[in-house]
Amino acid sequence: MAKAKADLLQGTLDMLILKSLSLGELHGYGIIQRIRQLSDEMLNVEQGSLYPALYRIEQKGWVSARWDVHDTGREAKFYKLTRSGRKQLETQEASWDRLVLAITKVRQATT
Amino acid sequence: MKWFNILRDRLRALRKRDSVIHDIDREMRSHLHLQIEENIKAGMSPDEAREKARRSFGNLNRAVDAAYDVKGGGLFETLVQDIRYGTRVLLKHKGFTSIAVITLALGIGANSAIFSVVNELLLRPLPYQDPDRIVMLWEVSPEGRRQNTTSRANFRAWHAQSTSYEHMAAFSDQRLTLTGNFEPEEVSGQMAMPEIFKVLGVQPILGRTLLPEDAQPNSALVVVLSHGLWQRRFGGQASVIGQPIMLNGINREVVGVMPPNFQFHIKQRSGTGRPAEVWLNLPMATGNTENERGRFLSTVAKLKPGVTAEQAGAELRTIEARLSDEVPEFNKNYSAEVLPLREQFFGNVRRPLWLMLGAVGFVLLIACANVANLLLSLATSREKEIALRAALGARRSRIVRQLLTESLLLALLGSALGLGVAWLGIKALPLISPRDVVSLQGVSLNSSVLLWTLGVSILTGIIFGLAPALHISRLNLNDSLKEGGKADSGQATGSRRLRSVLVVSEIALAVVLLASAGLLIRSFIRLQQVDRGFNSDNVLSMVVRLPFARYPEDAQLVQFFNQSMERMRNLPGVRSAGMVNFLPLYGGLGSSTGFKIIGRPEPPPGQGPSCDVRVVDAGYFPTLGIPLLRGRNFSDAELRESKRVILINNALARKHFPNEDPIGQRLDVAMFETPMPAEIVGIVGNVRYDSLIDEAPEAVYFPHPDLAYPFMTLVLRTDGDPTAIATAVQREIRALDPNQPVSDVRTMDQVMSEAVSRSRFNTLLLALFAGLATLLSAVGIFGVMNYSVALRTREIGLRLAVGAQPRQVLLLILKQGLTLTVVGVGLGLLAAFALTRLLTGLLFGVEAVDATTFTTISLLLVFVSLLACYLPARRAMRIDPMTALRYE
Repeated sequence: MAKAKADLLQGTLDMLILKSLSLGELHGYGIIQRIRQLSDEMLNVEQGSLYPALYRIEQKGWVSARWDVHDTGREAKFYKLTRSGRKQLETQEASWDRLVLAITKVRQATT
Repeated sequence: MKWFNILRDRLRALRKRDSVIHDIDREMRSHLHLQIEENIKAGMSPDEAREKARRSFGNLNRAVDAAYDVKGGGLFETLVQDIRYGTRVLLKHKGFTSIAVITLALGIGANSAIFSVVNELLLRPLPYQDPDRIVMLWEVSPEGRRQNTTSRANFRAWHAQSTSYEHMAAFSDQRLTLTGNFEPEEVSGQMAMPEIFKVLGVQPILGRTLLPEDAQPNSALVVVLSHGLWQRRFGGQASVIGQPIMLNGINREVVGVMPPNFQFHIKQRSGTGRPAEVWLNLPMATGNTENERGRFLSTVAKLKPGVTAEQAGAELRTIEARLSDEVPEFNKNYSAEVLPLREQFFGNVRRPLWLMLGAVGFVLLIACANVANLLLSLATSREKEIALRAALGARRSRIVRQLLTESLLLALLGSALGLGVAWLGIKALPLISPRDVVSLQGVSLNSSVLLWTLGVSILTGIIFGLAPALHISRLNLNDSLKEGGKADSGQATGSRRLRSVLVVSEIALAVVLLASAGLLIRSFIRLQQVDRGFNSDNVLSMVVRLPFARYPEDAQLVQFFNQSMERMRNLPGVRSAGMVNFLPLYGGLGSSTGFKIIGRPEPPPGQGPSCDVRVVDAGYFPTLGIPLLRGRNFSDAELRESKRVILINNALARKHFPNEDPIGQRLDVAMFETPMPAEIVGIVGNVRYDSLIDEAPEAVYFPHPDLAYPFMTLVLRTDGDPTAIATAVQREIRALDPNQPVSDVRTMDQVMSEAVSRSRFNTLLLALFAGLATLLSAVGIFGVMNYSVALRTREIGLRLAVGAQPRQVLLLILKQGLTLTVVGVGLGLLAAFALTRLLTGLLFGVEAVDATTFTTISLLLVFVSLLACYLPARRAMRIDPMTALRYE
């Protein structure tokens, strides 16, 4: 939680990646697409930032990865949420909600 | 989990960097293709789709790099790169590497060898249960002599009145004769109270130890064997338990066998001088007063948890003070002390050992300075390479790290070879170590020593690598990249200054070591020159001990020894023969006995004079070359039966009869149950009995019928090599009594040599280290001067071209070297003034600050360094001006 506050941007990306995987296994390209879809095309994650974040999440044990053949017949690396990843997602979402709530309150007070 | 994954990834990246990158690349490309396919689906032409995907993806390589930084890279990988690179550098400069590694190996090896001894003797726990709670209890005599044995009565009082101890046991070492259907043999026995095994907490491997029941009156006589004796005499068979063995002519039942490495040998006041092979119950029954009051017991005890040795000591002194008041005739002015067991075992070697460790530390520092110098030389030839790396964007910290990695590699190589040196050292140490002080058998390259060596090598790597690394990384890019800016550049001067500082420190350290070694050498020579009062040339000695069971009567002892003396004198090649109960310098029980001078007023209890008592025959004096100063020697009649006569030494005569003739006076020496005055018939020369260091004690000599001893040391002066006669002597003894063993066959020179063995050991070791230090500093100064000449080639060429004589050039260089040396010697002498006082206690007949020694070693070092400067100076002298000037 402390980490989420301290490193908001990276933590946010982590949360978005975890969220996109919560609906099912995806490859890197798919994660970007899913985030774009879910955000109504508002969030466009760069490949250059996706993969380092993805690898870091993998090292933390929140996702697991395997090579498989995509339905187009091309091989791709698929990522899947692990149990601890799911728990992490819940924690991050809760902390994010609190943050949004807090910011909203502050903004309402000043207007 | 997280750390584990990261570490796993990093390690994988190290081993299979390409495969990791390939994997990332593959993922990126698959991503790209998915996007292209998507684009085509959206209706783009294949080319357009590919172009668009590429653009949206950005720089593929950068993306791969960023991803790789997560999976691999980091400090770890840089380190491995540095190690690979460093290895290549070291391999490329083989000459440099081998000299540096050998230098370090000598320094580190010496260090590890000495540390292994320190570890074994001073750091490792003693092999008993709760060894830190085991203490020795001793009396301190009115003259202040420490570690004295106590009496049964006093032990009983200590035991009853003290509250500091869990267990307390008295013991006394005695030599015993083991007989049976084999050669009679003398074994070392420890007569001990059964509690000694509780104090030490050691279990037998077979049977049992002594039990309190064994100490009950009229209980069966039992014995516990050492592992060694069990193996040697009983073939290591378990059936030995319950068997009888004969000791001093009395049968005892074997009840237990101790483990192989078990021994409890307190050298101080041991009557045998070697570890016990059998343990017997020590009879503590109250009997007559003499039995109660005789001081012959050593005491060991286990402190209760939480009680310190100091507290126990204070309590014991209180008890002893009470004893002094209650029984003044035996205890007047006696005090007591409590010594922790480690202090007892190693107290006298602790200081020399730490000093030796300090000395090898100095040697290692000198080695470090030398290698630092070498690294600086190497850096000169690498200036361009390092400048190039800096120009290509390597940060300074990165370059320092690279250079430090190289030094650490060197240090580790040095320590690997150093372990070999240490191993040799450990093998060699027991050969020169003093046998009587400590056993170095257990010293080995164990894990603590390996760990120490690793620590030392990392530390040395940083010490000798840091200064050069910092220095080199400060190099000015432009100057170094430009060819020719070399000779006069600021860096070269800076490096020369650093080198000079290193060499001056080396010399200063070497001076300190040389001064210490010089002082010890002078002490050793003094020790050899001491007038010890006897002549040890061509003298053989051996001990004959007659068992009480076969020789219960004094008359039998006297007869046996007289007969054996007669046989000795008739042996061919024997010039003279004699005997004494305790040889000079033999260690063991040097006891002091009170006496009265008949006709003088009696002094108050505990304040009377005392003397050293020896039992001899007439042959003893001429055989050891002890002069008869006045009066006469013992007559044949006096050696057959007691006539109440004695000889005294010159020290006693001078002290107690300064103004009168002692001949004809009578002394009552307190060796007997009833007063037994004896007449002084002669005065003989002083002999240093206790040690070469201590003045000769006042001594009284009894002829052996007056004070028959069951054991005597026979001494024979021979025409030639004394050892040649040993078997003949044993044959003669066997002829008198076939069951009689002879032990401790040694020449007097051997006895002498052991008496100075501690001093010799310290001296030899320190001299070795000082020699090594001098050699290393000579190499150091040679390196610096050589480098300096190389730097000044142009300047010297110029000097020669404008008319300087080669001789002047030679002097110029020598002067430069001499300046460094003199500064180093000066600083070293200052340090030596401060440090050599640590040697006090190891020195004999020479002060810690000794002008002769200090001058000698200073001159020696100046001479050595001039020698080391001569080669570079000669090279400078022969520089060809034309070549030098053309050389840019």
